[in-house]
Amino acid sequence: MAAATLVNGNASSSDWEGRYHHVDQILDRPGPRTDPSFLAGAEVKDFLRDKCKILVIGAGGLGCEILANLALSGFKDIHVIDMDTIDISNLNRQFLFRPKDVGESKANVAAKFIMNRVPGVKVSPYFGKIQDKDEDYYMQFNLIICGLDSVEARRWINATLVNMVDSDNPESLKPLIDGGTEGFKGQARVILPTVTSCYECSLDMLNKPTAFPICTIANTPRLPEHCIEWASVLEWPKVHGDKKMDTDDPEHISWLYQVAAARAKEFKIEGVTYSLTQGVVKNIIPAIASTNAIIAASCCNEAFKIATSSAAYLNNYFMLIGTDSVYSYTFEHEKRDDCPVCGGQSLSIAVNKEWTVERLIEMLVERQDIQVKKPSLSTPGKQIYFQAPPQLELATRPNLEKKVSELVPDGGEITVTATTLPFNLSLRVTYT
Amino acid sequence: MSSQESQDIEQATATIAYCPLLPPPSHLVLIFFSATASPTTKPVDMTVSSGKKPPTLNRSLILRYPPPSIWAASGQAALEACRILVVSSSATSTSILKNLVLPGIGHFSILDSAITSPADAGNNFFLNATYSLGKPRAQEAVPLLRELNESVQGEAVVKDLKLLLDTDQGRDWISSFSLVIAHNLNKDVLGQLSTLLWANSNGPPLISVRSAGFIAEFHIQYHEHCVSQSHSENAPSLRITRPFPALLALARSLDFQNMDPTAHSHIPFVIILVRATDDWRKSHNDSLPHTPAEKKEFKKNILSMRIKPDEENFEEAEAQAWRVWSEPAVPSDVQALFSLSTLPTAPHHNSTFHALLQSLSEFVKDPAGPGTLPINATLPDMKSDTKSYVQLQNLYRAQAEVEKAQFKELFAVKHPEIARTSNPEEVDSFVKNAHHIRVLRGKQWGAVDQDREAIANLLNAQPRETATHLALSALSTLLALETEVTVDALNAEVQRVVGEGVELPEELETAVGEIARAPTADLPNMAAFLGGLVAQEAIKVITEQYVPLNGYCVVDLIESWTGVIN
Repeated sequence: MAAATLVNGNASSSDWEGRYHHVDQILDRPGPRTDPSFLAGAEVKDFLRDKCKILVIGAGGLGCEILANLALSGFKDIHVIDMDTIDISNLNRQFLFRPKDVGESKANVAAKFIMNRVPGVKVSPYFGKIQDKDEDYYMQFNLIICGLDSVEARRWINATLVNMVDSDNPESLKPLIDGGTEGFKGQARVILPTVTSCYECSLDMLNKPTAFPICTIANTPRLPEHCIEWASVLEWPKVHGDKKMDTDDPEHISWLYQVAAARAKEFKIEGVTYSLTQGVVKNIIPAIASTNAIIAASCCNEAFKIATSSAAYLNNYFMLIGTDSVYSYTFEHEKRDDCPVCGGQSLSIAVNKEWTVERLIEMLVERQDIQVKKPSLSTPGKQIYFQAPPQLELATRPNLEKKVSELVPDGGEITVTATTLPFNLSLRVTYT
Repeated sequence: MSSQESQDIEQATATIAYCPLLPPPSHLVLIFFSATASPTTKPVDMTVSSGKKPPTLNRSLILRYPPPSIWAASGQAALEACRILVVSSSATSTSILKNLVLPGIGHFSILDSAITSPADAGNNFFLNATYSLGKPRAQEAVPLLRELNESVQGEAVVKDLKLLLDTDQGRDWISSFSLVIAHNLNKDVLGQLSTLLWANSNGPPLISVRSAGFIAEFHIQYHEHCVSQSHSENAPSLRITRPFPALLALARSLDFQNMDPTAHSHIPFVIILVRATDDWRKSHNDSLPHTPAEKKEFKKNILSMRIKPDEENFEEAEAQAWRVWSEPAVPSDVQALFSLSTLPTAPHHNSTFHALLQSLSEFVKDPAGPGTLPINATLPDMKSDTKSYVQLQNLYRAQAEVEKAQFKELFAVKHPEIARTSNPEEVDSFVKNAHHIRVLRGKQWGAVDQDREAIANLLNAQPRETATHLALSALSTLLALETEVTVDALNAEVQRVVGEGVELPEELETAVGEIARAPTADLPNMAAFLGGLVAQEAIKVITEQYVPLNGYCVVDLIESWTGVIN
């Protein structure tokens, strides 16, 4: 029995008597809050262990935990995508990685670790971007769990899954379970694309990324953070030209730290440190193992309940704050009718008649429910302003000075595109 | 890198990592560089993420990189000094341990006489699946946990807790840990353990965890827990309405009307508010705005101080005007601590905190002092130019130094013995965080179940959480009696605890039903969920930072809620 367990493939052959003693207490009989459609016993076990295919996006802090939980819960066909390699700083929480793995693909190492530790589970890694995969790829899964630290990637997968929904094909609706953590805080949520509120619907709930006005950074720094932003936003391109800054590269961070520290000294500002530099440029609050464990467990618990119908699942948002006792809040986040991804309507915006195109762009960049960098604008008939390619940018640049009201009629539509936006945002303009 | 070299680096780090004079976050990397610069060591290749061959580094060094700024160097030092006893090596227990080993506790012992069963091999990530079958569970788990962080010491103790509790030696050993954690322990044995630890006011806190399928709870037992670094996000007072002399002088000295317009648009809101308050007092018989109409007028006054319509600093001042009517001399939470009765069972290590608390109360009453808590030196960011902001920040910093010195003087007079022996860092941290200090007083595990009045109140206030707790307590009782766990048996036991005729909420039905469905299930996801929650509370207790749970935390992973009852 033991020797056979390390061979992967035919999942059920590696199960030993009593292996699922704990999970089976749940799967053998319904509870008071179990839906009548629950098929207790062999049928549900067969689906979970032999048929269900689940995708995990991200093999980092949350991903490592998610993979371990899914494997122990009885999911046997698990896929994982991650474009990152293992960094030395990951080892204090990403518990599937060892010092010898530094520099290797997170997805590959995590998959291998799980298959070694939990017999009979097949984990198929993909070392690359989620954007490399098409709809056919995502269509093969029953469920998708996201443990990502990037808003952009989440918006992409969310928009992709909402787009995939075909009302004639129930199989095309892929439940998306999303988790995220920051320090002692975290959230887990269940998204049924087109049915419940989606990731885009709740974009305004995100903590506003601390964006410092460029004039503060350039002219009136007050905080150590302002000096660090100065080093990374203004000084790095000036000194290094086109060389891309790698926030995982300690040499780059050290350079930024030294430049920021010098500026802070000049302005008599205290508090620039290496770790603050790292925190500011990566825009992160350090993740910790315990919060990751809680949120990953919550995500996997929802996946297990959805896959087995053994109990009601989360409707639809769980938020945890662990700084003062244990505080959590479970609520139903409501769908936004004007959600640009799942609402199917254009977003109405009120624009001052005197506003220039440049002012409108500023407003779009600032809006928390839109979150776009460098947007390009057009109307159905003409280009208003394009950020790229350079010729088009040059040709449309004079429009920045023009009033929006000269270019777009009242009630007219503007299409916003951007490389960071995984869909075309349509705005309906009314003038005030 | 030779082992001698790695040892050199480790020694260099060890010395510096605990040096209080260095800002905690930066030490590791800088030390890396300084260590490599020493003539006896070859340079360490730090470019690990660019695909080059990774350097071989000492494991304990790696794990402290980057240093956990979330609980600072002092918190990390407390973690590294602590010794934790975990009773049982169930899936939940090893999940808890994983999240304590990763951040680097000093030592753990697993006490467990169980032999790995097929069920254990199936639900516990820290066992070698079927290879561990038939071997002692604790012994199998320890190496897999230690592998996560080799700087952590760990041992398996394959003994029965019940037998250890019967001997002096066993009881002393249990009491020698910094913290004891137990999962799904037999109710009678847990009762004995809890009584042992409760009787010793300087003994370790006890975290007891109970889980069954989708339902769980855990309780922290401590007599008293004091926190000075609660990491509260509430802003401390800026003392707008009680300005210290230098602040008032600065606000009065500015000629708002005839200033250079650029300088005018850069006056920090604090100065604007202090000035506006000063002007208001002069024209209102020394009182502050009270009524809604007055508050409105006050805000209007601020906006009328603008010389251009778009001065953001004045808008900021208007938005911050609440400080003028909502900044008490002492926040009510802290005021309440001043009249706290003495707790005879408070642990010895809290005595410095209590002496500091008493001195704080004296400080507020001291006619020579500001009549408030010592001012905080940290200023929030605000619209301003560098010069005005740094100038203002220096004023606050200087005042904070003055008041801290006053406080320390008072402390030395009132508590000479403690002041002489106390850690200066602890005193500084107390003064710095004076606005957010907390004192928690706990109860013994199970005490609430003996108190029918308390239960009745809880059932009324938090029916869902209390019913779920009662159902879990009933489960413990039935399992200890080796009675079959059925819905009827659970309901009967709950009724026995609350008393005949006491009405029970409908939430009891769902909790009881779910527990009867899976009375002994240690589900992987619940184990992982508790693993995170319990470890997090353990870290808060050990580091004495952030505010830990007081009472029971109840968990339902069907509707996905948590709640606290006390």
